[in-house]
Order: sequence, then C-alpha cells, then structure tokens
Amino acid sequence: MPMHIGEKDFKKRVTKGLEDDFMRGAVRSAQGRLQDKRATAADELGDWEDWRTLGSEIRSHTIEHLDYYLHQLSEKVAELGGHVFFAETGEEANEYIQKVATEKEAKKIAKSKSMVTEEISMNEALEAIGCEVIETDLGEYILQIDDHDPPSHIVAPALHKNKEQIRDVFHEKLDYLKSEKPEELALFAREKLREEFLSADLGITGCNFAVAESGSFALVTNEGNARMVSALPKTQITVMGMERIVPGWEELDIVVSLLTRAAVGQKLTSYITALTGPKQLEEADGPEEFHLVIVDNGRSKILGTEFQEALHCIRCAACINVCPVYRHVGGHAYGSIYPGPIGAVLSPLLSDYDEYKELPYASSLCGACTEVCPVKIPLHEQLIMHRRKIVEDEKKSTLSERVVMRGFEQLVNSANLYRTATKMAPFLTTPFAKNQLITKGPGPLKHWTHARDFPQPANERFRDWFENRQKRGEKNA
Amino acid sequence: MKISFFVTCLGDMFYVNAGKAAVELLEHLGCEVDFPKAQTCCGQPAYNSGYHKETLEVAKHLVETFEDAEYVVGISGSCVYMIHEYVHLFEEGSEWQKRASKLKDKTYELTQFIVDVLDVEDVGASYEGVATYHTSCHMTRLLGVTEAPFRLLENVKGLQMIDLPNRHDCCGFGGTFSVKMSDISEQMVDEKVEHIEETKANLLLGADGSCLMNIGGRLSRNGSSVEVKHIAEILNSRGDL
Amino acid sequence: MPKGNIINRDSFLTNIREKIGGIAADKPVEKPSWSVKPQKKVLEGYDQDQLISVLREQCKEIHTDFYQTTLAELTGTITEVMEEYESESIVYSDDPRFDNANIEEYLQGLNAFKWDRNDRENSIKVAERAEVGITFSDITLAESGTVVLLNDKGQGRSVSLLPANYIAIIPKTSIVKRMTQATDYIHAKVEKGEDIASCINFITGPSNSADIEMNLVVGVHGPIRAAYIVVDDL
Ligand code: SF4
Repeated sequence: MPMHIGEKDFKKRVTKGLEDDFMRGAVRSAQGRLQDKRATAADELGDWEDWRTLGSEIRSHTIEHLDYYLHQLSEKVAELGGHVFFAETGEEANEYIQKVATEKEAKKIAKSKSMVTEEISMNEALEAIGCEVIETDLGEYILQIDDHDPPSHIVAPALHKNKEQIRDVFHEKLDYLKSEKPEELALFAREKLREEFLSADLGITGCNFAVAESGSFALVTNEGNARMVSALPKTQITVMGMERIVPGWEELDIVVSLLTRAAVGQKLTSYITALTGPKQLEEADGPEEFHLVIVDNGRSKILGTEFQEALHCIRCAACINVCPVYRHVGGHAYGSIYPGPIGAVLSPLLSDYDEYKELPYASSLCGACTEVCPVKIPLHEQLIMHRRKIVEDEKKSTLSERVVMRGFEQLVNSANLYRTATKMAPFLTTPFAKNQLITKGPGPLKHWTHARDFPQPANERFRDWFENRQKRGEKNA
Repeated sequence: MKISFFVTCLGDMFYVNAGKAAVELLEHLGCEVDFPKAQTCCGQPAYNSGYHKETLEVAKHLVETFEDAEYVVGISGSCVYMIHEYVHLFEEGSEWQKRASKLKDKTYELTQFIVDVLDVEDVGASYEGVATYHTSCHMTRLLGVTEAPFRLLENVKGLQMIDLPNRHDCCGFGGTFSVKMSDISEQMVDEKVEHIEETKANLLLGADGSCLMNIGGRLSRNGSSVEVKHIAEILNSRGDL
Repeated sequence: MPKGNIINRDSFLTNIREKIGGIAADKPVEKPSWSVKPQKKVLEGYDQDQLISVLREQCKEIHTDFYQTTLAELTGTITEVMEEYESESIVYSDDPRFDNANIEEYLQGLNAFKWDRNDRENSIKVAERAEVGITFSDITLAESGTVVLLNDKGQGRSVSLLPANYIAIIPKTSIVKRMTQATDYIHAKVEKGEDIASCINFITGPSNSADIEMNLVVGVHGPIRAAYIVVDDL
C-alpha cells in the first residue's frame, strides 16, 4: 500500500467520511476510550510534564546527531553478524528486500505491523516476485483479508470498522461461522495465523526504536505477533524509518514509557521485545540471519528545516485520538496512511503540497494535539508553518485569499481605515439581516451561514459607545 | 490601576455588550480604563492563514498602540494569546522583539487579570440562571488560563453552574477553518451544541467572542432557547436577587 | 559470527550530515545530561515488600494471576496453577535455576519437556503443543507488572510464547521498581563491552489486543493466561 490512499479529491474523501455513520460511531467511541486511558495513565505519574520534557530533549538530541547514531547502530549490528542496508528511497529498500527473499527462496512471509513498509509498498513488491505476505497484527490482518482496505489509524489500523463488519469480512473470506464477539473473532485469527507463523520462511518486522549503543531493536506490541515473527522464521528483516532511534537503553526506557502510556494508556504493553543481532550459537530459536533496512524515503528533506521536529514523532497516535477533525472525517479522509494531526504535518513533507495541500487546513488549530504529544511536537504550529509555506513559497493560495489578506493588512494597519470599515459594516450587511441575524450571507459568509446564523454588526460600535460616554462625562472624562 | 482596554474586532463590532460590561466591571473593581482608539485587529486571521509578512505589520501597529499602557486587558483569550505570540514573530534579539516582549508581560485576558493581578475571585456579581461554560481552546491550551473563569463564576450569587461534557473539545470555529472546511466545522459545532443541550442549562457562557459567535449562531439556527453571553456580562450583573 | 555487510552507508549519512550540519559520524557525540529525571522518582524509597504489593495490585490490571510462596511450597503452587489452568503438559527452559531451586525433578515427574538448545525443529514443535510454558524472571518490574527474560542460550524465546498458558517464577530478589532499573542494568553491561542477550523480552501479562472496536481481548497470538509466582526466599 503506498502512502497515498483512497480517492484523489480531498473534498470527496471528506464527504465520504462524514457520511459514514458506522465509521463515525466506531471512531467516536474509540477516541473516547483512548482519551480517558491516556489521561489516566499520564495523571498516575504525577509529573507527566517532566516526562514530556525529557522525551522531547531525547528526541531533539537524537535527531540533531542522527548521522552519528545511525553510524553507531550499523556498526553494532554488523559486529553481531547482521547485515545493514541504507535505502534512500522506497524502491531501493524494496529491491534489497526482494533480493533477500529470493536468495532465501522465501515463499511465505510473516510480517508484524510496520508503517514504513506500508509507506514504501513493500508488500506489493514482494507479491510481485511471487511471495505470499501475511500481515499478523490483528488489525492489519482484518484489513488485508478485506481486499486490502487501507489503514485509518497508525496504532489501531482497523479502527474504522465495527465488529459486525469484521465478522462479515471473516465470514465472506474465511468461512467464519461464529459471532461478532471480539473474543471469538480474535480466537479465530489466532488459530489461522498460528499455522502461518510456523510455516513462514521469512519474518519481517518494523521497528519502534533502535538502540544505537548496542545495535538492538525494540518492538512494542500487545498481541505477541512480533515475537512470533522474530522467533520462528529462520531469516528476519527489520525495516526502520531512519529517525526511529535512541542513543542508549536509558533513553529507550523513556520513549517506551511515553509511547505505551500515550498510545494505549498502559504502563507497558504486554510485550516489549528487544532484539540484538541474529540468534547466537547455543540458541535453538530466533533468526539465523538478520537484515536491517534503514529507510530515508523523503525524511532527510525534513532535516534542517522548520519542520525537523516532525521527525521526533514516536507514532503513539495520541494526537489522532484527541483530534476533533479526525473524529468526524475518519482516517481515510486524509488520503494518507498517516492521518490526523501528525499526518497533516508529515504527509505533505514526505510527499508534496500538490498531493496534500488541503491537509494543513484540515485543522481548527485548537491545539489539542500539541497538548497531548508526549514528545512536545508543536503540531498546530507546524500546520501554521505549512500554511505559511503554501502562501509564501508555493504561491498555492487562491488569488482571492491573497487579495483579502493584503487588504486586511492595510485595513488593520490604518486606524482610520479600520474605523471607517467597521462603521460601514452594519449598513453593508443590513440587506442580508433579519432580526439582527444574517441567515444567508454573501461571499465567504455563505459557507458560515449554511449551518449557522451570523450576527449583524451593531449600529453603535464599542468605540462609539466609549467615546460618547466619555463625552457625556459618565466616567473618566 | 490604569488599564488600556483591548476590545478585539468582534467585541468592537458585534459583542458590544461584552466590552461595555468589561469596562464597567473593571471600573467597579477600582481600575481606571482608557481605550486607545488606534487599536485594530490582533492579526490572528492573517497569521493562522499563513500570511506572516502581513501579520508582522499588524503586530507592529498594535505594539505601538499599546506600548505606553500600564496594563492591557482584552476580552478574548484567543486575541490576547495572539499578542503574546508576537514575540515569536519578530527576529530573535531585535528591538521589535523586545518591545513585543514588554507588551506581552503586561497583557492579560479579562478573567486572568481579575484573578491573577487584582487578586479578586468574588466580584460581587449576582445573576439568576443555570449556566454552562465553554472553555475555548486558545485561552486554555495556549494562554494557559484554565481556572480563573470558573473561580469567578462560582462566586456569582444565584448562578448555578453545570459542567459541560467533553468541554475540552473545540467548537469548530478555527477562524478561516469554519469557512474553508465548513462541512467539518459544522459537525464540530453540532457536537458542541448537543453537549450544551444535554446540560439543560439555559445560559451558555464563554470568554471568547469568536467561539460564542460560532456556537450561538448554531443554537440560533436550531431555534434553541439557550441564551449566549460573554462572561463579562454576568460578572457585571449586580441585580437584586 | 563473521561481521555483516553494511551497504550504502556513506552517501546516506553524508546527505544527513549536510542537512543537520553535523560533524564526522565517527567522532563521538557527547550525550547531554538531561534536565529532568522523572524516572528515578517512581516508587522511590519502596522496600522489597512494598514493591511486592505494587506488583500484586498491578497484576489485577494486566489480567495476571498472582501467587506468593516459598521455595519449600513452590512445587505445590505450580501444581495449583497447573490445575487451575487444567493443564498437564509443560515446557521449561534449559536453565540451571530449575535445578538449583530443586524443582527440576518435580517438573520431570509431569508431562514435561526441557527446551533443547540444539534442536530447533523439535523444541519449537513441542513448545507449540505444550499447555504451559514456565521460566524464571531475570528482572521483575513492580510498577508495570513485567517479567524481564534475558533470552539467550537455552532459555528459548518460544517457551514463554507458544503455549496457551505461561508461568513466571519470580525470585523476590529480582523485583525492582520499574523499567529504569532494568535498562540501567543492560546499559551497564553494554558499557563494559559485555554481551547482552540476543532477545530480551519484557513480558507484562498475557497477550491481548484492542484492535476490534478498542475492546480488550485477552489472548491473541501469545499466551491466553499468565501466572506470576513470587518466591520469597529466592
Ligand atoms: S505527533 Fe506526537 S502525539 Fe502524534 S503520533 Fe507523533 S508522538 Fe504521538
């Protein structure tokens, strides 16, 4: 699955989202639960703000010295006998992974959840050379079975589906005959996937965090699928976005603690698996051969720019879980595998403004995202920066908007002009007003008054009142 | 204490009563209030739309307008926050930045000023009604004023306050967002209105004209009987109960 | 093991270095001292018994059965758990601690299999069929209710993973406050140039998923039930 998903046209995607009552119900209740759990987990610590500060310091330092830490990581992995491939593009990464799969004569590949492999369309590349790729994260598995329905959330990819829909998908595609109870659905997937794990030739994992000092990789899961993928197949490939790294174990502690709390409100998830190299001589299970693929795919474009902080993201989805826009339109409306506030920041950077020019505007700038981000990425400010770039560098804003804004500048800079304009407002809008309310406005007001009334400007402005009052000597003459 | 009053565009043109009430309230609390006539908009619409060069000019104008004031008090958390933001607009270490920073230090939102500077929590107001309060995003999250309005409202005689469910959710205004993404904005304001109706309050209060205009516009379109008022209007009510 | 290959590194890192204005990659970077250390304050001053109560409470959150016993009673407790889980077959890691704790003999009296470090196929096959997997916890984190397994040599990654039920034997002395103490320990080993286990598992209760409508389902790919047995005199 490439980064871009769904319909090309933003408006159409939004409308589709808004009309999907099933999805909106599912998202609304999920958001409610996740918000509560995150808030409780953060409160429990008592000093959550200190944790965030530490998280943000760690991420800043790491990204500022990314070359050093990636170098250290690759040295360590190689010392342990693992192979490291640096891929500037998705294609390079896929070619390398295809090559390993071919050499190992891999037919069946078990994969644990990884956003970066989605981003580079790795599954498609492997299928093109005849491999069968099996998603083993329950959410991803559901989507894969459902004719590759795209993910709508970076932690819970099938969030947009309710249990009845999942039951129907299992029934239709896998002859599932039981109920829509989540327990029964999960047990069914457990049994199906167990066979796959045991017979897979190759395991592919993502990477939550690499640890530079020891060449280790931490996989954070609840289901245990990443453990299967890294214990059973004889060859393992780990694919990581180049920014997913911390200096050492001390820092791993912090980012993992932030991630599990912010993502799902757990102190730790069921499994944090830290893998260091291929299996050693006296071990029976674990991969005999280990490959690490480090992917750039547009990330280095972000380094050194005002958007660098976007690379601090630890993919916890807390910003998505609090976003009111996401709640109403759902993940697919963003047209990217990275939805919500972080998606609106990241997608135009990894791709371009042509593809994602609307996303920076799909926010009321309420700042809920910035407030929850465990590593303090100023998400809503980054969205404003995008808007600025679109206006200043890309000249992609509409002409009418530019004219309005230039007029606005002149207006508010000249006290006289401003006074005149505000004085005129009530007269100009009177033709549209009914009982002091505008119910069908002209120009941009049209959109406003589609659902809301707009107040008619008052005949006596505040400044007139204040002046008259002074003249009358009522106060402070 | 001398206060230069910052009324904001909406306050000047639409919510005149809020401005009047705020001035009278401040005077009641012993302040001397003036109104620098050169004041215009804070520039937020341009800033949030990415027109930063334009915003810079607006910022300079407001800095000049208010820089001689002892205190600046505004009746919108969002616009006051914008003034605080000026510091980040100007070049690091520049003369303008210093001037903006001085302005920031003496600029307050109304309830923040009353509680933090005047150190008053009971303004002696009385108002008969059942109310709920909308916490606007910029005021709480960005300006960091979370408690002041509640403290003041708790002490209004005759007023019963009811918690607004999901009060931290945005009302969907977002400036140009409400026009550019009007279909999404509509859903957000609808959700807000649902929660307000759930409280059964007959009065919706807030400290930001823009949110009130948005929510009030939707309530009015729905034919709702919920009245919408700026917090200043309640705090300035001293009728007999 | 021979050193692995590193491909495309130079151009990749040069590009990054140019963007961030970094220095040469092989020049060591000093880690700053972080301005705050909230992780050190968690459960500060708790003694071993207080940590056990924290662990016991946390077990309720993570759907894990908690037992506390002594070395003399350990086999009895394991029997109790086996009965509770209606299980007969058990797989255990190739770990001298079983013998040291005098329970290897007891285990062999059950339908038991000891993980064979030299036989991948068979070990995995048996572990997959066993009803219970049992291991020692190397480090136990009270705050989160986590057992840390330093899986190398004969430990077997699959022992705590494939069976439907998992039992962790927790020496009282292995209990620390939180993840910080475990990562400090591992970091110290790395500093000294010592090997760390190829697979370190932080296990917190049975496997679960909330992928279906955010409803928690306990037991997805890994164990469905988990029991922790704290042994006071270990
Ligand atoms: S931007 Fe922050 S809140 Fe959003 S996913 Fe990334 S780390 Fe989490």
